[in-house]
Amino acid sequence: MRLHPFRLVEPESLPEAIEALGRLDGEARLVAGGTALVAMIRLGLVKPDRLVSLHRVPALTQIRVENGSLELGAMATHADIEHSRVVRDGWPLLADAVRRVATPAIRTSGTIGGNLAYAEAASDPAPALLCLEAEVRVAGPRGSRTVPIGQFFRGFYDAALEPGEIVTAIRIPPPPARARGGYIKFTSRSAEDKPLVGVAALVALDASGRCVETRIGLGGAAPTPIRAERAERTLRGETLTDAAARAAAEAAAQEADPLTDLMGSADYRREMIRVWVRRLLVALGDGTEASGAR
Amino acid sequence: MNLAFTLNGQPCATEAPDHWTVLDLLRDGLGLMGTKYGCGEGVCGTCTVLADGRPIRACLVLAAHARGRTLVTVEGLERDGRLDPIQTAFAERGAAQCGYCTPGIMLAAKALLLENPAPTEHEVREALSGNLCRCTGYTKIVEAVLAVAGTR
Repeated sequence: MRLHPFRLVEPESLPEAIEALGRLDGEARLVAGGTALVAMIRLGLVKPDRLVSLHRVPALTQIRVENGSLELGAMATHADIEHSRVVRDGWPLLADAVRRVATPAIRTSGTIGGNLAYAEAASDPAPALLCLEAEVRVAGPRGSRTVPIGQFFRGFYDAALEPGEIVTAIRIPPPPARARGGYIKFTSRSAEDKPLVGVAALVALDASGRCVETRIGLGGAAPTPIRAERAERTLRGETLTDAAARAAAEAAAQEADPLTDLMGSADYRREMIRVWVRRLLVALGDGTEASGAR
Repeated sequence: MNLAFTLNGQPCATEAPDHWTVLDLLRDGLGLMGTKYGCGEGVCGTCTVLADGRPIRACLVLAAHARGRTLVTVEGLERDGRLDPIQTAFAERGAAQCGYCTPGIMLAAKALLLENPAPTEHEVREALSGNLCRCTGYTKIVEAVLAVAGTR
């Protein structure tokens, strides 16, 4: 079965890409890896006249460290990030989350910029990037800007991108000193599915084991990926006991705003947030690896 | 549009309409029918081929994005009339029933073994997690991949 026909534009620079996207003849869509967009075209959900591909724009695939921060080009694939020594060593939480995206074949093609621009509520990388307080670099007809990831997800499949704007890079500062982190993905159907609930957490403990910094990111818990800020506050200055983890998980379940879909009801999601936030925090408190959520 | 890439060890220069995927190009442009159309949404895995040694879903990747890359399809697993060890293991162990998922599964397994020549059973199952066999013959498939790993 063929895709609905479109014209493919392959710009060789960012300004050309922005110009091609902004041309006013029919509907244009930006394509990176195509793992979301091509499936949407196949299903007839979108029928663009023109696709603007970023594959020939140089430098967008770079993964490098600059002034201590990780810079991911928007076209870096999940496989590139998962296999990057730099990412595994310095940002292991991101590597953990990215290697849980779908299947190896999807990770070969799917890009980090595409993942964020798609604004999927149940994204695997997004909760980790929320915990890491990443910034999204965006370029458009009116120049470039930087959007903190906490402000990047505007609504259900809605990213804070104006018409003609392109995600160009993600900048990720180093994790807090002595932070331990983890990502847990709970799927209700099969392992390669998107998460029913995804939980990322970064916890920095002082010498006496008290939380000096706690960040919890949730996927599938609201119309967009979110930080569980009330849950984070319950842990301020606390040691990560089972009781503290339970209280934080309860707060996360309360502040979540989950949706009902074919994977599970809102009530079920809320219950799973309660379970998996607690399990991840207990594992981080023990210094063990949280497991069981496949 | 014009396309040039390496296909099963040979240079390939061809043309394709803008909206074709790699799967359209392989089957309809080049007549290589080993790669199957299944779901068309990247979920079932039967269209899996290798691009630069990594698995891709041919139904989701635009043909234009194959430009300059090295593709391997099931037709390219055999070399000089000799089956790839994965093909031999699948045949010897009866790891195919209806056969529709087999090309994609063999290429997903090939990608795993290129990266990790001695995977555990868990790693094999994880690598094949996106390849559905609706005859549900997974046991023999996993055994076949582990057998290849064991003989290396």
